[in-house]
Amino acid sequence: MLNNFKLSKKLSSHRKTRNWQLTILSLFLLLIYTIIVSISIGYTSIPIPNIIKVFLTNAPGLNRLFHYSVSPIEEVLILQVRFPRALCAALVGAALSIAGTVYQGLFRNPMADPYTIGASSGAAVGATSAIILGVSVTILGINTIQFFAFIGCLITVLGVYTISRVGTKVPVQTLLLSGIAVSILLSAVVNSFHSMFPEQFRRSAFWLMGSVSYSEWADVWSALPFILAGSIIIYLYARDLNILALGESEATHLGVDLEKMKKVLLVSSAFVTAAAVSISGLIAFVGLIIPHVTRLILTPDHRLLIPTSALMGAIFLMLCDILARVVISPSELPVGVVTAICGGPFFLYLMRRKKKVDAS
Amino acid sequence: MVHLKINNIDCYYDSVKIIENISFQFQTGQFVGILGPNGSGKTTLLKSISHTLKPKTGTILLEDEDIYTLKAIDVAKKMAVVSQGANIAFSFTALDVVLMGRSPHLSRFAMESEKDVEIAKKAMTYTGTLHLQDRPITELSGGERQRIIISRALAQEPQVLLLDEPTTFLDVANQLEIMELLKQLCNNKKLLVIGVFHDFNLAARYCDSIVMLKNGKIVTAGKTDILTSENIKTVFSIDTVVKQNSITKTPYIIPIMVSHQVPYRSLTVHIICGAGSGSSLMNLLIDNGYNVTAGVLNLLDTDQETAGFLKIPTTIEAPMSPISDTTYKNNLKLIKKANFIVVTSFPYGYGNIKNLDAANFAVEHKIPTFLLDESLIELRDYTKGQAQEKMQILKNKGAVSVKDEKTLLAAINYLAKTCTDSKNISLKSIASAAVIAQMEVTS
Repeated sequence: MLNNFKLSKKLSSHRKTRNWQLTILSLFLLLIYTIIVSISIGYTSIPIPNIIKVFLTNAPGLNRLFHYSVSPIEEVLILQVRFPRALCAALVGAALSIAGTVYQGLFRNPMADPYTIGASSGAAVGATSAIILGVSVTILGINTIQFFAFIGCLITVLGVYTISRVGTKVPVQTLLLSGIAVSILLSAVVNSFHSMFPEQFRRSAFWLMGSVSYSEWADVWSALPFILAGSIIIYLYARDLNILALGESEATHLGVDLEKMKKVLLVSSAFVTAAAVSISGLIAFVGLIIPHVTRLILTPDHRLLIPTSALMGAIFLMLCDILARVVISPSELPVGVVTAICGGPFFLYLMRRKKKVDAS
Repeated sequence: MVHLKINNIDCYYDSVKIIENISFQFQTGQFVGILGPNGSGKTTLLKSISHTLKPKTGTILLEDEDIYTLKAIDVAKKMAVVSQGANIAFSFTALDVVLMGRSPHLSRFAMESEKDVEIAKKAMTYTGTLHLQDRPITELSGGERQRIIISRALAQEPQVLLLDEPTTFLDVANQLEIMELLKQLCNNKKLLVIGVFHDFNLAARYCDSIVMLKNGKIVTAGKTDILTSENIKTVFSIDTVVKQNSITKTPYIIPIMVSHQVPYRSLTVHIICGAGSGSSLMNLLIDNGYNVTAGVLNLLDTDQETAGFLKIPTTIEAPMSPISDTTYKNNLKLIKKANFIVVTSFPYGYGNIKNLDAANFAVEHKIPTFLLDESLIELRDYTKGQAQEKMQILKNKGAVSVKDEKTLLAAINYLAKTCTDSKNISLKSIASAAVIAQMEVTS
């Protein structure tokens, strides 16, 4: 009997780790599948076998083994247009979801995300200011646009956090209200920059509503290092984020260095958000919906939640981008419009549910 | 043997001194209750012990090591804290929450091992929550959640457990169960448990030692016998009656609110009562600004104890003795001075039947007399009908029946307001006062 008990315990813990690995693996496969689908769908559709052939022929290392004859037009379309675009969508989706997970965990509040707390708008103001000032240079691998976006994002998050803090707590209502107010204000600033300097913004709609239509390889390479580095730093704090769910003083009593954790996480998520915003503009609600849904269907444990929301966010934004391309084909919607159409009602649903929970 | 020594600590919030010069020693296996009014520095003391608020002067030594020279994570291996009414943000399962207690023992990248899961489950078994392990913490009741949080603290394998009002927000059954659990932890696991409590009866019943704080200083500390009426008065500024709980043999404290209201007119109500039937009325009348006298009461009768506590002038007879002529006459002196007489509902025997004669004396002297809830007198009559007879005579002579204390108070208030000469109230106006009072109370 005792043996049995011990055995079942061993199984359960082992199963947990294996389940986690399986979940991540299957989401990763789904991600690759979505990338391929996303490349295949568009104004001219490309059959999936052709896409695979192009990849095999061009992949470094594999191109010695495979030599398929593919049409050069399709090759350019796949490699120079659709693949970077799909990757950009995936990167932005992953980045916003990770940032959303961090904000929700840090503020202990399931309604926080880069958009609702003003981080995205702050980054947008920073990025547009850099464009207007015309200081688009790259120093030490950091693009000034991204640097300004990062500064704008960080200042805004700290500002909103300070405004909405009451004592040591950050109540839901004040956080959302001040976040949304600041967000609207900063969007207006971005809007006015666009009206004042129209010639400097060839991709106006891209900025205002969020889009990955014009994404190039340069965008991927400029954002990837920051998103990757930020995410790795964030992941180091996964268990601390779990403990923070117990409450701030509880976390302190369990040996978490709360002040350091807050600083590190706010800076690294600002990096991640700024990198995403600088290549895609303002995309709303991804960072709200994805962590929330992932927490609901998989786990609130940040050690699994962070990687899985990143994967789910990447898949979700690519699917939204596909929708944005096909609904009014041959013309396109900005992907931000699609996420807003999905996210708005979801946000309202959350508000109602929260109200019920509070009332009961 | 775990020692926790507090040496002369002073704690400040910014520049405001919250606790001053506190020294105390704790031993393993002790259950210590910290009591004190709001703002007395209880929580601050707990915070400084729990490595959250560093004292400006003085030291806190855990096994001869100053805890403020240790890292937070090393303190967390020795000391667990259960804070007040913690709410958990996301729906982790109960087991996940308890496992978080293992985190001080894990390195940053380590996953919980089998051993950690085993420790967590043991803690849950101890608190009787193992069956809840897969339930989301957000769906548990307050009592279950508190026990999960205590399991989490136990999973830290601490030597010291600190709790800030662990029973607030819980119902009575859960309060007792949590206290029992804490007591067991002291006795069986030899933990040092230090808790801040608001309910001094709960603390008196379960704690081994009590520390009483006021204005950031220890007023008194020691075994539970320091919970005396005087000490409680000093610390909480309330009047209490401290008795011994005859079942648990621990101090049992009954707080009594004494009105500081000055009687708004010098009207006196004399209460003829006994066996506890007049205690609440005494309190009610005093609260409403009347002077109260009482008698005849036997010494040690519940009403006599209440009267003594409320400092009400009372004619007292020896315990278990019939009313003597002298006491009877002394009582008549009190009655003559009173403006109103109330006869409460209590049993009559040959020992106290003279109290009805005293009431008769009052009626004959035209002092307004009320019979509180006199129906069913036959059930309270142990004098073979004499009491019933005397009661009937009283009613015939103009004593007025009132249903309950509320109506009585309304009637007296009405008379006090309307009659200018309180020594000359007609029988008619007494009767109408009772009717008006009845209407007032029922509407």
